[in-house]
Amino acid sequence: MSDFFSSNLVLVQSTLSGLILALSIQVPLRMGVFSFAGAGSYGIGAYAAGILVLRYEFGALTAIALTVVGTAVIGFLLGAVISKLNGLYLAMATVAFDLIISVVAINGGELTGASTGLFGILTDFTMTQMVALTVAALALVAMSEVGRLGRRVDTVRDDPELAASMGINVRRYRLAAFVVSGALGGLAGAMNVLVRSTVGPLDIGFGLIVLALTMIIVGGSRSWKGALIGAVIFTWLPDLLTVIGEWQELVYGVIVAIAAILLPRGIYGVLQDGWRWAQRTRRDRRAAARGGPVVDDDGGLRPQEDEAAVLAAQAADQPHRELDQLSSRPQGAS
Amino acid sequence: MSTSVPQTGTSGPPGPAGTTPVLELRDVAVHFGGVKAVDGISLQLESGLIYGIIGPNGSGKSTLIAAVTRLTPLTRGELLLDGRPVHDVAASRLAGLGVARTFQTVRLLPDLTVRANVQIGADARSGDEAQQRRGPAGWLRPRAASPAVAEAVARTRLEGFEDHYPSELSYGTQRRVEIARAIAMGPRLLLLDEPTAGMNQTERAEISALMRSMRTDGLCQLLVEHDVQMMIDTCDYVFAMNSGRLIAQGAPADVVQDPAVQEAYLGRKWRDHARSE
Repeated sequence: MSDFFSSNLVLVQSTLSGLILALSIQVPLRMGVFSFAGAGSYGIGAYAAGILVLRYEFGALTAIALTVVGTAVIGFLLGAVISKLNGLYLAMATVAFDLIISVVAINGGELTGASTGLFGILTDFTMTQMVALTVAALALVAMSEVGRLGRRVDTVRDDPELAASMGINVRRYRLAAFVVSGALGGLAGAMNVLVRSTVGPLDIGFGLIVLALTMIIVGGSRSWKGALIGAVIFTWLPDLLTVIGEWQELVYGVIVAIAAILLPRGIYGVLQDGWRWAQRTRRDRRAAARGGPVVDDDGGLRPQEDEAAVLAAQAADQPHRELDQLSSRPQGAS
Repeated sequence: MSTSVPQTGTSGPPGPAGTTPVLELRDVAVHFGGVKAVDGISLQLESGLIYGIIGPNGSGKSTLIAAVTRLTPLTRGELLLDGRPVHDVAASRLAGLGVARTFQTVRLLPDLTVRANVQIGADARSGDEAQQRRGPAGWLRPRAASPAVAEAVARTRLEGFEDHYPSELSYGTQRRVEIARAIAMGPRLLLLDEPTAGMNQTERAEISALMRSMRTDGLCQLLVEHDVQMMIDTCDYVFAMNSGRLIAQGAPADVVQDPAVQEAYLGRKWRDHARSE
């Protein structure tokens, strides 16, 4: 186990930073906010942490903390400006934000290392610290999926008008999505640069959006568990596919296409559906045994004791008694 | 007898002397460009009574509900909740002030169980979360339903359905879940937009009985429905709308016999035919 871990250290590190990057895109999507700003925050986080360590000699954890706070603030400011946009327009605005970060990195002169980037970012950042930070971020995201907060996030995503009627300040949640996305993106970028010791313009930009989207589309977009599944698959798969040489890109593409077409809710969605099916089967068996709700002819469910009464009522049911039925409508009137 | 309605001034049944209406509308208008969906409605709703709004399709009933719940901006007019102006208040704050509603179409969250859907309503009730979290690590028990959920489920006769998903339920049962969600909010004013659409006669009678049972709790209810017999059976007072304006109001049985109401529903030609027979 230890040998496996040591020989695959880079892949494990990439899995963790890839997971947090995927979450930085998934969290806003879970709130119905089509923002890809997490990729831009990743770029900011990578360069900011690198600069803080390399130019100002900050320690690893201090650099990460400052970076996360900074990218969260940038996320807030970005959200304040564009959170009223929706759908494609919002997505395009955030892609533009990501591209601006890439342009700034290339044209940042000595501060960003221009087209060659930053090298020699050496710190005492350990694997244990990376795992601890990842688990802490995962725990916070997981908490947003359960209980009152989870229900409110679901409501904001599925029906903003309903959410407002239920006392939920939709704008505040959308703004929070930008802040959390910024913090997670910054964390992912900072951790990655500190374990790689280098960052360049080719490490950030549009490719990160594709990578993160691939992870959450295939893994599942509604839960951190889906992001985890996607991060594991798309970090380890390219390594496993090296045996087929130049064909690996094709296999990779086919997997993504099949998942997008056949698994619209991702692998985790399939697991969830299977779990629900098992629950329903077990529940219906129990219900049938004790006379509880059963499936009726039209696929609905009704309590067994009411079944006869409901069927009798349906047989005797009249169409809606509207006002026109209170007066006698003349035959043939039109 | 029903009364013809002046287009200015406040309408509604007289409440007990000195009481503040739960909801008061003063000259409320909602215009969409040149379309006057609601045009100068004034009315008062008192606690403990059930009000109805009838009117043909497109008469502005649902727009009026949307305006009252601040989901549609007012073109002009004032909204007062317990005497307090709320026409500038955000929609999301109205829930905290005791306003709950259902929608014309079923709007349940498909990935949540009945219990969780109803819990969304209870979440809006201040202090409910604290009740849920009572005891150590209470927040780790998301499946524990709050008392408000249990009560709303019982009142709407949804026991046994708590762990089902909306897609597993008949349409009428889904509508009952919506009503349960609104009840779980613990409202002072409940707005029901065609709550019995898609229900059979037995289910309609149940909803009518449920509404009448909640009247004794002091709840003020405003019901939008096309089923006039249900309005007669359920409501204490009915407003009739046409083309965004109130055309009659009064006791339900009187309003449905009002010539202006019959003409709005049937057209002058059919009304005259009906009278001649």
